[in-house]
Amino acid sequence: MGSRYIEIFCREAEEHLASLQSGLLVLERNPSRMSLLHELLRNAHTMKGSARMVGLADISAITHTMEEQLKGMERGERAVDAQAIDLLLKGADAVALITAALAKGEAPNLDVERFIAEYEKGEAVRPVQADSRETQAEHMSETVRANVKTLDALVNLVGEMIINKKRLEAKLVPLKEIAGASPPGLQQQLLEFRRELEEDVLYLDYLIQELHGKAMGLRMLPVRSISDGFDRLVRDLAQQLGKEVRLETAGQGIEMDRVLLEGLKPMLIHLLTNAVCHGIEGPDERVAAGKTRQGVVSVNARHEGSLVVVEVRDDGRGMDAQRIRDAALARGVIDQREAELLTDEEALYLTLRPGFSTADIVTDVSGRGVGMDVVKKNIERVKGNLALATEVGLWSQVTLQLPLTLSVIEALIVDCGGETFALPINYVEEILKVRPRDISTLGANEVIKVRGATTPFYTLSSVLGLPQREAAENAPVAAVVLKLCDQRIACTVDAHLGNSEVVVKGLGRQFKNVRFVFGATIMGDGNPALILNVPDLFEAFSSGSRAAARSDGEQLKKKVYRVLVVDDSITTRTMEQSILVTHGFAVVTAVSGEDALEKSEAGSFDLIISDVEMPGMNGFELTRALRAAERYRETPIIIVSSLSRDEDKRQALQAGAQAYIVKGAFDQGMLLETVETLLG
Amino acid sequence: MTVANEDGYDIRNILSQMREEYWQGLEEEESEAKEVLDCLVFTLGGERYAFETQYACEVIRIPKLIRVPAVQSVISGIFNLRGEITAAMDIRPMLGLSQPEIGATGRILVVKSEQFATGVICEAAHGVQALFLDSFEPAAGLSAARQQFIKGHFNEEEGSVILLDMEALLCSPEIMVGEV
Repeated sequence: MGSRYIEIFCREAEEHLASLQSGLLVLERNPSRMSLLHELLRNAHTMKGSARMVGLADISAITHTMEEQLKGMERGERAVDAQAIDLLLKGADAVALITAALAKGEAPNLDVERFIAEYEKGEAVRPVQADSRETQAEHMSETVRANVKTLDALVNLVGEMIINKKRLEAKLVPLKEIAGASPPGLQQQLLEFRRELEEDVLYLDYLIQELHGKAMGLRMLPVRSISDGFDRLVRDLAQQLGKEVRLETAGQGIEMDRVLLEGLKPMLIHLLTNAVCHGIEGPDERVAAGKTRQGVVSVNARHEGSLVVVEVRDDGRGMDAQRIRDAALARGVIDQREAELLTDEEALYLTLRPGFSTADIVTDVSGRGVGMDVVKKNIERVKGNLALATEVGLWSQVTLQLPLTLSVIEALIVDCGGETFALPINYVEEILKVRPRDISTLGANEVIKVRGATTPFYTLSSVLGLPQREAAENAPVAAVVLKLCDQRIACTVDAHLGNSEVVVKGLGRQFKNVRFVFGATIMGDGNPALILNVPDLFEAFSSGSRAAARSDGEQLKKKVYRVLVVDDSITTRTMEQSILVTHGFAVVTAVSGEDALEKSEAGSFDLIISDVEMPGMNGFELTRALRAAERYRETPIIIVSSLSRDEDKRQALQAGAQAYIVKGAFDQGMLLETVETLLG
Repeated sequence: MTVANEDGYDIRNILSQMREEYWQGLEEEESEAKEVLDCLVFTLGGERYAFETQYACEVIRIPKLIRVPAVQSVISGIFNLRGEITAAMDIRPMLGLSQPEIGATGRILVVKSEQFATGVICEAAHGVQALFLDSFEPAAGLSAARQQFIKGHFNEEEGSVILLDMEALLCSPEIMVGEV
């Protein structure tokens, strides 16, 4: 039995013994208090159970006798008198003596065997040495129990101190200016005073850093505290699947904030389940491939700068980019065009999208197509990052990057649109200067080359809906390259003001659903600065920065376009209608081709969206009929269909449609984008 | 206090008059005690508004407000209230009021609901005043938008004071980010 468990037992026993010793004395004075008696019974019982778990037979025997005595009292068979209480106290003292000795790794100063033999007979045994209490008291003083709320309050207060120290620090600059403008005699004095103050601030800074480290340490727990059950999990899963898997762990002693560990645990459970179910092959398959019968899954934690990196690796079949592409296509996560554009590395990250799964059979453990996207969401919530790597047939590895704590983070401070923002440093890849000639356009977006890679290029202030600063022509602009999983974007900022450790403060309930920010910090001047939520930025960029930056006023000025939606399925009709209406379009629906023709004559439409297969006139026929009418010769027509053959697409274009969307790949963004493009 | 007798200084008269005034004063106080409502009075859109003091935490000068991206226009920004990040709201459009510029007399009234504390920007704050309930008239004939947040008004000597329904305002989804 490991000494760690003994240590845990000793700490637990201390609590029970303390409550027994004080409780027994109270019981002696109030023999009829059944609730107290019951509580003491529970103490003895729990201690007995725990002692058995860690193999401490002596303690288990003594507490068993104590439990029996207490039970007798509860049933009324044994008197609650001084003698009986004395016997119980002796038992508690003996247990205290044994645990105190255990904690020190010494033999107890007591003939345990004789004590037990006599104690079981209910005889008052020879008195336990008086010094046992002393040793126990000494031991207890080494640890105290603290309320988690008190710890959090302590950390917050230290945070306030950091902020105040920064304010003090900031005052050194104007002091120098004041000295500069003073008459020579005074100037010398002031400068001397300032130098001393500077030294004091430096020392204060050192002290606060120490204090902060200690305060944070109180909230930290080792990774081990969540990974204890993993061995069992992997073993049971492997057995269930007829596989042979060994779990290897390293760096389990690395400490992290309690809150983060709570978030990490479900992610690790999921990744391990994935590794055992999808990664590791069956034993025969492994042998055939020249591997050992037993697969290895490893969980590896280590420090990397101010981050904790946790790797989950398996030596299984690896991740096949082509297979992932096919599965994503089959499940409608991406369309053909997208699939062809993806590099192998990018394809791996498809597994993180909602609705993805490669498993051919859905089991109760995995293959439900949910999971990896949940891992991604969780990691974003704790402001971490995730990377995937693999070699087909050999191994795959998921790397989680997490901050040590959420209450203080390292951030890059930037100026943007007249405000100051903090960007968590773990999303920042690099800082660059971009000249206008470096920027080119690709489709509707601007891009720049970052170390040879084409990277989308945005203006941060426009995404955030803040006023943009007029840059001098041809002057280089500051840009920050941000990274989230496999994606990279570059965005311009007005200026970057360097790295800083910032204290994270929540925005309160009024901002529960705020987008783009996840908290604020207080700067040296006492004003808050918002901390940007980088995953939200990526989401805004991918759904088109124009939409995010569109202000209410502009939306009102925009002409309201009228769209006719034709589909015989009420689901499709309603879905398309609601997407369009929420984005400011006026929508009329028609249930068939004939109905659509009638409605198109009655009103005028700027765009028509039609299904292909409908009872009566089909979508192609409708398109031709509309094209024949003077009024709709130029009107954009979009065909939305479940037919995905090239032949159907050609037919649609021949009939005169401008766009063809396959229902399988149908998503809100795609429809909107197409509609918006066609309407200019 | 007037002297009753031109001839001289009739101390008895003066004393009895003082006594009378004292008792009268007490009576008035007693009868009024049941009929006043302690309110924080302030200016919004050029008009005088008030709400019950139980919602008020403090009144502060307007600090630098930090704009928050992608939130409704009612949230003017956030500020640091002794370490707590607090919102500052310009609720005048919610009440259908004009928005005169906030000058040197501008203040933030920090109010609290069960859920959170938040700031209401006003053009000027006039402190806590006891408003006479018998001069109160419940809201009537207001537009729906206004009616939602207004309980009624007091006809005070210096003009009317409109009583805000602070509870309705603090529960309104219009002030919650991401819910409109």
